[in-house]
Amino acid sequence: MLEATDLEIKKALLTISIEEALLEIGRPVLDAVAHSLCVNYKCFIPDCLDHPEYLKQVLQELYGNGCSNIIKSIHKHLDEYASMQQIEEFLISIDPMTIHSYPSR
Amino acid sequence: MQYNIIVLQNNLQHSNLKKILFFTIVFTGLALVVANLFGKDTATTVSLLLYVPVTLSLVILSIILSKRFGMKGDHGTAWILFSIFAILWFIAERISLYYNLKLGEELFPSEADAFWLAGYPFLFAFMMFYLRPMKNSITKKMIFLAMAISVVLLIPPLYIVSYESMDVDLSETAIAIAYPIGDAILLIPAIIGIALFLGGKVNFLWTLMCIAIVFETIADTGFLLATIDDSYYEGHPVDILFIWYYVIFSFGVYHHITLFKDHRKDPYKNVQELR
Repeated sequence: MLEATDLEIKKALLTISIEEALLEIGRPVLDAVAHSLCVNYKCFIPDCLDHPEYLKQVLQELYGNGCSNIIKSIHKHLDEYASMQQIEEFLISIDPMTIHSYPSR
Repeated sequence: MQYNIIVLQNNLQHSNLKKILFFTIVFTGLALVVANLFGKDTATTVSLLLYVPVTLSLVILSIILSKRFGMKGDHGTAWILFSIFAILWFIAERISLYYNLKLGEELFPSEADAFWLAGYPFLFAFMMFYLRPMKNSITKKMIFLAMAISVVLLIPPLYIVSYESMDVDLSETAIAIAYPIGDAILLIPAIIGIALFLGGKVNFLWTLMCIAIVFETIADTGFLLATIDDSYYEGHPVDILFIWYYVIFSFGVYHHITLFKDHRKDPYKNVQELR
Protein backbone atom coordinates (compact mmCIF):
# COMPACT_ATOMS: atom_id res chain seq x y z
CA MET A 1 0.00 0.00 0.00
CA LEU A 2 1.24 3.47 -0.88
CA GLU A 3 1.71 5.82 2.04
CA ALA A 4 1.49 9.56 1.71
CA THR A 5 4.51 11.52 2.78
CA ASP A 6 4.35 14.33 5.29
CA LEU A 7 4.74 16.87 2.49
CA GLU A 8 1.94 15.31 0.46
CA ILE A 9 -0.40 15.44 3.47
CA LYS A 10 0.39 19.12 3.99
CA LYS A 11 -0.18 19.84 0.31
CA ALA A 12 -3.51 18.00 0.46
CA LEU A 13 -4.58 19.99 3.53
CA LEU A 14 -3.59 23.20 1.82
CA THR A 15 -5.46 22.28 -1.36
CA ILE A 16 -8.64 21.44 0.56
CA SER A 17 -8.44 24.71 2.49
CA ILE A 18 -7.89 26.84 -0.63
CA GLU A 19 -10.62 25.02 -2.51
CA GLU A 20 -13.10 25.37 0.36
CA ALA A 21 -12.38 29.09 0.70
CA LEU A 22 -12.82 29.70 -3.04
CA LEU A 23 -15.88 27.44 -3.35
CA GLU A 24 -17.59 29.59 -0.72
CA ILE A 25 -17.47 32.34 -3.36
CA GLY A 26 -18.23 30.16 -6.37
CA ARG A 27 -16.98 27.25 -8.44
CA PRO A 28 -15.87 29.45 -11.38
CA VAL A 29 -13.67 31.45 -8.98
CA LEU A 30 -11.82 28.27 -8.02
CA ASP A 31 -11.54 27.34 -11.71
CA ALA A 32 -10.25 30.79 -12.63
CA VAL A 33 -7.62 30.74 -9.87
CA ALA A 34 -6.50 27.19 -10.73
CA HIS A 35 -6.34 28.05 -14.43
CA SER A 36 -4.44 31.26 -13.81
CA LEU A 37 -1.91 29.41 -11.59
CA CYS A 38 -1.51 26.79 -14.29
CA VAL A 39 -1.17 29.16 -17.23
CA ASN A 40 0.83 31.96 -15.62
CA TYR A 41 3.04 30.02 -13.21
CA LYS A 42 2.81 26.44 -14.49
CA CYS A 43 1.76 25.16 -11.11
CA PHE A 44 -1.21 23.49 -9.44
CA ILE A 45 -2.92 24.49 -6.21
CA PRO A 46 -0.87 22.01 -4.06
CA ASP A 47 2.32 23.65 -5.36
CA CYS A 48 1.28 26.86 -3.65
CA LEU A 49 2.70 25.41 -0.43
CA ASP A 50 6.14 26.10 -1.89
CA HIS A 51 5.05 29.23 -3.78
CA PRO A 52 2.45 31.13 -1.77
CA GLU A 53 3.37 34.29 -3.67
CA TYR A 54 1.85 32.80 -6.84
CA LEU A 55 -1.53 32.33 -5.16
CA LYS A 56 -1.37 35.80 -3.64
CA GLN A 57 -0.53 37.33 -7.03
CA VAL A 58 -3.37 35.50 -8.80
CA LEU A 59 -5.91 36.55 -6.16
CA GLN A 60 -4.59 40.12 -6.25
CA GLU A 61 -4.92 40.23 -10.05
CA LEU A 62 -8.50 39.00 -9.83
CA TYR A 63 -9.90 40.81 -6.80
CA GLY A 64 -7.48 43.66 -6.14
CA ASN A 65 -7.70 44.89 -2.54
CA GLY A 66 -10.60 42.50 -1.94
CA CYS A 67 -8.20 39.53 -2.03
CA SER A 68 -7.12 40.14 1.57
CA ASN A 69 -10.46 38.77 2.77
CA ILE A 70 -10.11 35.63 0.64
CA ILE A 71 -6.62 35.15 2.08
CA LYS A 72 -8.10 35.52 5.58
CA SER A 73 -10.67 32.88 4.69
CA ILE A 74 -7.92 30.47 3.54
CA HIS A 75 -6.10 31.31 6.75
CA LYS A 76 -9.19 30.44 8.80
CA HIS A 77 -9.53 27.08 7.06
CA LEU A 78 -5.87 26.29 7.72
CA ASP A 79 -5.76 27.61 11.27
CA GLU A 80 -5.90 24.23 13.01
CA TYR A 81 -2.89 22.99 11.02
CA ALA A 82 -0.86 26.15 11.56
CA SER A 83 1.41 24.35 14.01
CA MET A 84 2.92 22.45 11.06
CA GLN A 85 6.04 24.28 10.03
CA GLN A 86 5.44 24.46 6.27
CA ILE A 87 1.80 25.46 6.71
CA GLU A 88 2.86 28.21 9.12
CA GLU A 89 5.47 29.41 6.64
CA PHE A 90 2.81 29.44 3.94
CA LEU A 91 0.46 31.47 6.13
CA ILE A 92 3.18 33.94 7.10
CA SER A 93 4.19 34.34 3.49
CA ILE A 94 0.68 34.82 2.12
CA ASP A 95 -0.48 37.01 4.98
CA PRO A 96 2.34 38.82 6.81
CA MET A 97 -0.07 39.73 9.65
CA THR A 98 0.05 36.03 10.60
CA ILE A 99 3.51 36.49 12.01
CA HIS A 100 1.93 38.22 14.99
CA SER A 101 -0.60 35.43 15.51
CA TYR A 102 1.77 32.64 16.47
CA PRO A 103 4.43 32.54 19.14
CA SER A 104 7.98 32.33 17.78
CA ARG A 105 9.52 28.87 17.76
CA MET B 1 8.37 35.09 -21.13
CA GLN B 2 5.19 33.05 -21.57
CA TYR B 3 3.66 34.92 -18.62
CA ASN B 4 4.39 38.24 -20.33
CA ILE B 5 2.74 37.00 -23.55
CA ILE B 6 -0.37 35.94 -21.61
CA VAL B 7 -0.53 39.30 -19.84
CA LEU B 8 -0.14 41.03 -23.22
CA GLN B 9 -2.93 38.89 -24.75
CA ASN B 10 -5.25 39.65 -21.80
CA ASN B 11 -4.51 43.37 -22.05
CA LEU B 12 -5.20 43.29 -25.80
CA GLN B 13 -8.51 41.48 -25.27
CA HIS B 14 -9.46 43.97 -22.54
CA SER B 15 -8.51 46.92 -24.74
CA ASN B 16 -10.59 45.51 -27.64
CA LEU B 17 -13.60 45.14 -25.33
CA LYS B 18 -13.22 48.78 -24.26
CA LYS B 19 -13.05 49.86 -27.92
CA ILE B 20 -16.22 47.90 -28.80
CA LEU B 21 -17.96 49.36 -25.75
CA PHE B 22 -16.96 52.88 -26.80
CA PHE B 23 -18.13 52.22 -30.38
CA THR B 24 -21.49 50.83 -29.18
CA ILE B 25 -22.02 53.86 -26.91
CA VAL B 26 -21.21 56.29 -29.73
CA PHE B 27 -23.37 54.37 -32.21
CA THR B 28 -26.47 54.12 -29.98
CA GLY B 29 -26.12 57.75 -28.86
CA LEU B 30 -25.72 59.06 -32.42
CA ALA B 31 -28.56 56.88 -33.71
CA LEU B 32 -31.02 58.43 -31.25
CA VAL B 33 -29.70 62.00 -31.73
CA VAL B 34 -30.01 61.73 -35.52
CA ALA B 35 -33.46 60.08 -35.19
CA ASN B 36 -34.63 63.02 -33.06
CA LEU B 37 -33.60 65.37 -35.89
CA PHE B 38 -36.13 63.58 -38.10
CA GLY B 39 -38.96 64.00 -35.60
CA LYS B 40 -40.60 62.28 -32.66
CA ASP B 41 -42.02 59.34 -34.64
CA THR B 42 -38.60 58.40 -36.04
CA ALA B 43 -37.05 58.82 -32.59
CA THR B 44 -39.68 56.54 -31.08
CA THR B 45 -39.12 53.86 -33.73
CA VAL B 46 -35.31 53.98 -33.40
CA SER B 47 -35.52 53.99 -29.61
CA LEU B 48 -37.81 50.95 -29.54
CA LEU B 49 -35.56 49.17 -32.03
CA LEU B 50 -32.51 49.86 -29.84
CA TYR B 51 -34.16 48.79 -26.59
CA VAL B 52 -34.86 45.26 -27.82
CA PRO B 53 -31.25 44.09 -28.45
CA VAL B 54 -29.72 45.91 -25.46
CA THR B 55 -32.22 44.51 -22.95
CA LEU B 56 -32.18 41.05 -24.50
CA SER B 57 -28.38 40.90 -24.46
CA LEU B 58 -28.34 41.74 -20.75
CA VAL B 59 -30.80 38.94 -19.99
CA ILE B 60 -28.92 36.37 -22.11
CA LEU B 61 -25.49 37.30 -20.71
CA SER B 62 -26.70 37.30 -17.10
CA ILE B 63 -28.34 33.88 -17.55
CA ILE B 64 -25.09 32.50 -19.07
CA LEU B 65 -23.11 33.76 -16.09
CA SER B 66 -25.73 32.62 -13.61
CA LYS B 67 -25.68 29.14 -15.15
CA ARG B 68 -21.89 29.08 -14.96
CA PHE B 69 -21.83 30.00 -11.26
CA GLY B 70 -24.74 27.70 -10.39
CA MET B 71 -26.62 27.81 -7.11
CA LYS B 72 -23.58 27.37 -4.84
CA GLY B 73 -21.47 30.10 -3.28
CA ASP B 74 -22.19 33.75 -2.59
CA HIS B 75 -21.46 34.76 -6.16
CA GLY B 76 -23.75 32.01 -7.44
CA THR B 77 -26.63 33.54 -5.45
CA ALA B 78 -25.52 37.01 -6.57
CA TRP B 79 -25.74 36.17 -10.28
CA ILE B 80 -29.16 34.51 -9.87
CA LEU B 81 -30.40 37.75 -8.28
CA PHE B 82 -28.82 39.74 -11.11
CA SER B 83 -30.61 37.56 -13.68
CA ILE B 84 -33.93 38.20 -11.95
CA PHE B 85 -33.21 41.94 -12.08
CA ALA B 86 -32.36 41.73 -15.81
CA ILE B 87 -35.52 39.71 -16.54
CA LEU B 88 -37.74 42.13 -14.57
CA TRP B 89 -36.35 45.13 -16.46
CA PHE B 90 -36.69 43.24 -19.76
CA ILE B 91 -40.39 42.62 -18.99
CA ALA B 92 -40.81 46.29 -18.05
CA GLU B 93 -39.29 47.38 -21.38
CA ARG B 94 -41.56 45.01 -23.29
CA ILE B 95 -44.65 46.34 -21.47
CA SER B 96 -43.47 49.85 -22.38
CA LEU B 97 -43.04 48.72 -26.00
CA TYR B 98 -46.56 47.22 -25.97
CA TYR B 99 -48.11 50.48 -24.77
CA ASN B 100 -46.13 52.44 -27.35
CA LEU B 101 -47.36 50.22 -30.16
CA LYS B 102 -50.93 49.99 -28.84
CA LEU B 103 -51.52 53.54 -27.62
CA GLY B 104 -48.88 55.31 -29.65
CA GLU B 105 -47.49 56.96 -26.51
CA GLU B 106 -45.56 56.22 -23.34
CA LEU B 107 -47.93 55.50 -20.47
CA PHE B 108 -46.75 56.74 -17.08
CA PRO B 109 -47.23 55.33 -14.54
CA SER B 110 -47.97 51.86 -15.88
CA GLU B 111 -47.46 48.19 -14.99
CA ALA B 112 -43.94 48.57 -16.40
CA ASP B 113 -43.02 50.78 -13.44
CA ALA B 114 -43.90 47.96 -11.04
CA PHE B 115 -41.36 45.73 -12.83
CA TRP B 116 -38.68 48.44 -13.01
CA LEU B 117 -39.07 49.28 -9.33
CA ALA B 118 -39.16 45.58 -8.39
CA GLY B 119 -35.77 45.19 -10.11
CA TYR B 120 -34.00 47.56 -7.71
CA PRO B 121 -34.02 45.30 -4.60
CA PHE B 122 -32.68 42.42 -6.70
CA LEU B 123 -29.80 44.51 -8.07
CA PHE B 124 -29.06 45.74 -4.54
CA ALA B 125 -29.14 42.16 -3.23
CA PHE B 126 -26.82 41.11 -6.08
CA MET B 127 -24.26 43.67 -4.97
CA MET B 128 -24.61 42.62 -1.33
CA PHE B 129 -24.04 38.94 -2.12
CA TYR B 130 -21.11 39.78 -4.41
CA LEU B 131 -19.45 41.86 -1.69
CA ARG B 132 -20.29 39.42 1.12
CA PRO B 133 -17.09 37.29 0.93
CA MET B 134 -15.06 40.52 1.21
CA LYS B 135 -17.25 42.22 3.81
CA ASN B 136 -14.50 42.42 6.44
CA SER B 137 -12.39 44.57 4.09
CA ILE B 138 -15.15 47.20 3.86
CA THR B 139 -14.17 50.12 6.05
CA LYS B 140 -16.43 52.76 7.61
CA LYS B 141 -14.55 55.37 5.56
CA MET B 142 -15.59 53.58 2.34
CA ILE B 143 -19.23 53.48 3.44
CA PHE B 144 -19.31 57.18 4.44
CA LEU B 145 -17.61 58.26 1.20
CA ALA B 146 -20.06 56.19 -0.89
CA MET B 147 -23.02 57.58 1.05
CA ALA B 148 -21.77 61.16 0.64
CA ILE B 149 -21.43 60.77 -3.16
CA SER B 150 -24.82 59.10 -3.32
CA VAL B 151 -26.51 61.92 -1.36
CA VAL B 152 -24.89 64.55 -3.63
CA LEU B 153 -26.33 62.76 -6.65
CA LEU B 154 -29.77 62.76 -5.06
CA ILE B 155 -29.89 66.57 -4.55
CA PRO B 156 -30.91 67.60 -8.12
CA PRO B 157 -33.99 65.30 -8.38
CA LEU B 158 -35.13 66.22 -4.85
CA TYR B 159 -34.70 69.91 -5.69
CA ILE B 160 -36.77 69.48 -8.87
CA VAL B 161 -39.54 67.70 -6.98
CA SER B 162 -39.70 70.27 -4.18
CA TYR B 163 -39.78 73.31 -6.49
CA GLU B 164 -41.37 72.25 -9.74
CA SER B 165 -43.98 69.62 -9.07
CA MET B 166 -46.56 71.62 -7.13
CA ASP B 167 -49.33 71.12 -9.71
CA VAL B 168 -48.42 67.59 -10.82
CA ASP B 169 -50.18 64.42 -9.67
CA LEU B 170 -48.64 63.27 -6.38
CA SER B 171 -48.58 59.55 -7.23
CA GLU B 172 -46.85 60.27 -10.56
CA THR B 173 -44.22 62.37 -8.80
CA ALA B 174 -43.77 59.74 -6.08
CA ILE B 175 -43.12 57.02 -8.67
CA ALA B 176 -40.84 59.28 -10.72
CA ILE B 177 -38.78 60.25 -7.64
CA ALA B 178 -38.56 56.59 -6.52
CA TYR B 179 -36.17 55.91 -9.42
CA PRO B 180 -33.43 58.43 -8.51
CA ILE B 181 -33.76 57.37 -4.86
CA GLY B 182 -33.30 53.74 -5.91
CA ASP B 183 -30.29 54.70 -8.07
CA ALA B 184 -28.72 56.62 -5.18
CA ILE B 185 -29.11 53.60 -2.89
CA LEU B 186 -27.55 51.33 -5.54
CA LEU B 187 -24.65 53.71 -5.95
CA ILE B 188 -23.49 53.07 -2.35
CA PRO B 189 -22.48 49.40 -2.81
CA ALA B 190 -21.28 50.17 -6.35
CA ILE B 191 -18.76 52.74 -5.05
CA ILE B 192 -17.73 50.40 -2.22
CA GLY B 193 -17.14 47.71 -4.87
CA ILE B 194 -14.85 49.99 -6.87
CA ALA B 195 -12.81 50.83 -3.75
CA LEU B 196 -12.69 47.21 -2.67
CA PHE B 197 -11.65 45.67 -5.96
CA LEU B 198 -9.21 48.43 -6.93
CA GLY B 199 -6.42 46.90 -9.00
CA GLY B 200 -8.34 43.69 -9.68
CA LYS B 201 -9.82 42.44 -12.93
CA VAL B 202 -13.34 42.24 -11.46
CA ASN B 203 -13.15 45.99 -10.90
CA PHE B 204 -14.04 46.51 -14.58
CA LEU B 205 -17.60 45.31 -13.88
CA TRP B 206 -17.90 47.45 -10.76
CA THR B 207 -16.57 50.56 -12.52
CA LEU B 208 -19.03 50.02 -15.38
CA MET B 209 -21.88 49.42 -12.93
CA CYS B 210 -21.03 52.64 -11.13
CA ILE B 211 -20.91 54.64 -14.40
CA ALA B 212 -24.18 53.04 -15.54
CA ILE B 213 -25.92 53.89 -12.26
CA VAL B 214 -24.74 57.53 -12.52
CA PHE B 215 -26.10 57.64 -16.09
CA GLU B 216 -29.36 56.11 -14.90
CA THR B 217 -29.68 58.70 -12.11
CA ILE B 218 -29.14 61.54 -14.60
CA ALA B 219 -31.62 59.91 -16.99
CA ASP B 220 -34.20 59.43 -14.22
CA THR B 221 -33.79 63.09 -13.22
CA GLY B 222 -34.25 64.08 -16.87
CA PHE B 223 -37.29 61.81 -17.07
CA LEU B 224 -38.68 63.44 -13.90
CA LEU B 225 -38.25 66.91 -15.46
CA ALA B 226 -39.82 65.78 -18.73
CA THR B 227 -42.74 64.20 -16.82
CA ILE B 228 -43.36 67.40 -14.87
CA ASP B 229 -43.53 69.56 -18.01
CA ASP B 230 -45.24 66.72 -19.94
CA SER B 231 -42.62 66.73 -22.70
CA TYR B 232 -41.49 63.09 -22.50
CA TYR B 233 -41.98 60.78 -25.46
CA GLU B 234 -40.40 57.42 -26.34
CA GLY B 235 -37.09 58.28 -28.01
CA HIS B 236 -36.60 61.50 -25.98
CA PRO B 237 -32.85 62.36 -25.68
CA VAL B 238 -32.86 61.08 -22.05
CA ASP B 239 -33.49 57.63 -23.53
CA ILE B 240 -29.87 57.67 -24.76
CA LEU B 241 -28.75 57.36 -21.13
CA PHE B 242 -31.28 54.60 -20.45
CA ILE B 243 -29.97 52.66 -23.47
CA TRP B 244 -26.37 53.25 -22.40
CA TYR B 245 -27.28 51.81 -18.99
CA TYR B 246 -28.15 48.46 -20.56
CA VAL B 247 -25.15 48.58 -22.93
CA ILE B 248 -22.67 49.31 -20.13
CA PHE B 249 -24.15 46.63 -17.86
CA SER B 250 -24.06 44.09 -20.71
CA PHE B 251 -20.38 44.76 -21.34
CA GLY B 252 -19.62 44.44 -17.64
CA VAL B 253 -21.36 41.06 -17.49
CA TYR B 254 -19.68 39.95 -20.71
CA HIS B 255 -16.28 40.84 -19.25
CA HIS B 256 -17.12 38.66 -16.24
CA ILE B 257 -18.02 35.79 -18.57
CA THR B 258 -14.59 36.04 -20.21
CA LEU B 259 -12.94 36.31 -16.79
CA PHE B 260 -14.64 33.24 -15.37
CA LYS B 261 -14.47 30.95 -18.39
CA ASP B 262 -15.24 27.29 -17.89
CA HIS B 263 -11.76 25.76 -18.20
CA ARG B 264 -12.65 22.30 -16.95
CA LYS B 265 -12.92 20.93 -20.46
CA ASP B 266 -9.74 22.61 -21.70
CA PRO B 267 -7.07 20.01 -22.42
CA TYR B 268 -3.60 20.83 -21.11
CA LYS B 269 -1.37 21.44 -24.08
CA ASN B 270 1.67 19.96 -22.47
CA VAL B 271 1.08 17.99 -19.29
CA GLN B 272 4.75 17.21 -18.80
CA GLU B 273 5.56 20.90 -18.74
CA LEU B 274 3.37 21.36 -15.68
CA ARG B 275 5.21 18.83 -13.51
